[in-house]
Amino acid sequence: MQQEEVLYMFPESMRSRWKNAAKQADKLQEIRLRVNVPASVLVDNREWFVDKEGNMMDMPPHGADNKPEELELILQHLCQYSIYAFADEIRQGFLTIQGGHRVGLSGQVILEGDNRIRNLKYIRYLNIRMAHEMKGVSDPVLLYLYNEHGYVRNTLLISPPGCGKTTMLRDIIRNISDGTKYGKGMNVSVVDERSEIAGSYLGIAQNDVGIRTDVLDGCPKKEGMMMLIRAMAPQVLAVDELGNEEDIQALRMASGCGCKLIATVHGSSLREIRSKKYMRNVMEDRLFERYLVLTRKNGRCEIEGIYDGEGTRCLN
Amino acid sequence: MLKLAGILCILTGCIGWGGSKIREEQRRVQHLRELIRIMKRIQGEICYGKHTLPEICFILSEYSDLPYRLYFMKIYEQTNLRSGACLTQIWMQQMTQCLTDIPLQREEKDILINLPRNLGISEETRQSESIGQSMDLLVRRCRQAEDDYAGKAKMIFSVSLLTGVFITILLL
Repeated sequence: MQQEEVLYMFPESMRSRWKNAAKQADKLQEIRLRVNVPASVLVDNREWFVDKEGNMMDMPPHGADNKPEELELILQHLCQYSIYAFADEIRQGFLTIQGGHRVGLSGQVILEGDNRIRNLKYIRYLNIRMAHEMKGVSDPVLLYLYNEHGYVRNTLLISPPGCGKTTMLRDIIRNISDGTKYGKGMNVSVVDERSEIAGSYLGIAQNDVGIRTDVLDGCPKKEGMMMLIRAMAPQVLAVDELGNEEDIQALRMASGCGCKLIATVHGSSLREIRSKKYMRNVMEDRLFERYLVLTRKNGRCEIEGIYDGEGTRCLN
Repeated sequence: MLKLAGILCILTGCIGWGGSKIREEQRRVQHLRELIRIMKRIQGEICYGKHTLPEICFILSEYSDLPYRLYFMKIYEQTNLRSGACLTQIWMQQMTQCLTDIPLQREEKDILINLPRNLGISEETRQSESIGQSMDLLVRRCRQAEDDYAGKAKMIFSVSLLTGVFITILLL
């Protein structure tokens, strides 16, 4: 990632403050902006505070608290002074900006009559999560994701938050789409409900998701999967973060249409996934032929293991 | 003979001046219509297209008439530089320049110049409604200008002709 990409996130008047952090763009993971406290950044898993001059320090500096109007200006800038255009995303608590970076938002929720979130106001907490494309992370596991005929196996990625689940999924999509030594390139369709996989901005994927990939951005998984099957005739369908029975039903329908599936789910082990009500039947029916479990050890993301449809370990 | 030529020159000059004023009124109506068209397009792009302001500027740079299209393109180009400059300021600066020589009244110009200031609403329907209010004002102004045009044109022509006659009498 380029230094400029970090600076582009801020209005002109604030750019000098972020020059030092931008110099470490490659290792920069997060920028956290909270009202009435100093800004902090996460660089290579280490937290630093940023003072008004842009110096990075261990302890929170005095007089460097973020003012509400500064946060509003940053938000306006990130939304290109068109907050209405991001209303749906803001409702879900995030924005995807150019470069595929995610901005998490928090503030005061406005509810509708039926307790549904209508909007967010007084957005006073921003968490800018830098997108780092890591090409090649899926290379060691590809062998297990193809069968002997060169077809992709239905695969479920299991990982706790922050262990590189989406990064791994993105790289698998890219590899399947472009083709590997294990199988030729295939048409992949991606339902990118939260713009995390392709990081689409103005409809253009900001991350490399392969030459045979179609992206449906910002669409709920259930509707998106059926829409893509009807419209794009994919050989492989990829979705992120299965979260309820509806998603599973849509996956089953997609599988019934002859599509191969690559999906992810939050969890730390196969056992934990089995304990989830909506996932139990999926595992019993062996909808997935491979389970790829990711974990974090000593601050590093690692592959804990690859399992077959019966739960037998293929790779330690 | 010279006197006759002088009288003709004075009358022609005065009528010409009147004609230019009439054309100015005509242009005002045309510009008001164009502004309404622009505002309607902006409203549509916000409500249905959910486009951001820079994208809307790009669309308008192809859709609107001269001189507006040039300035919309300039705004789009400046925001694309990603210099971090405030879009509201860029818009206001460019639109002020664009409207300098256009025969519109101050309030009418301000509607377009101050448009980004009204774009802070985080819900597209409400946002579109707020633009609709500005547009309603323009529509009212335009109707009034259209209704008044015929009467005003007659009056300006008569005044200019009478001015010419008055000056001629004074000079004789």
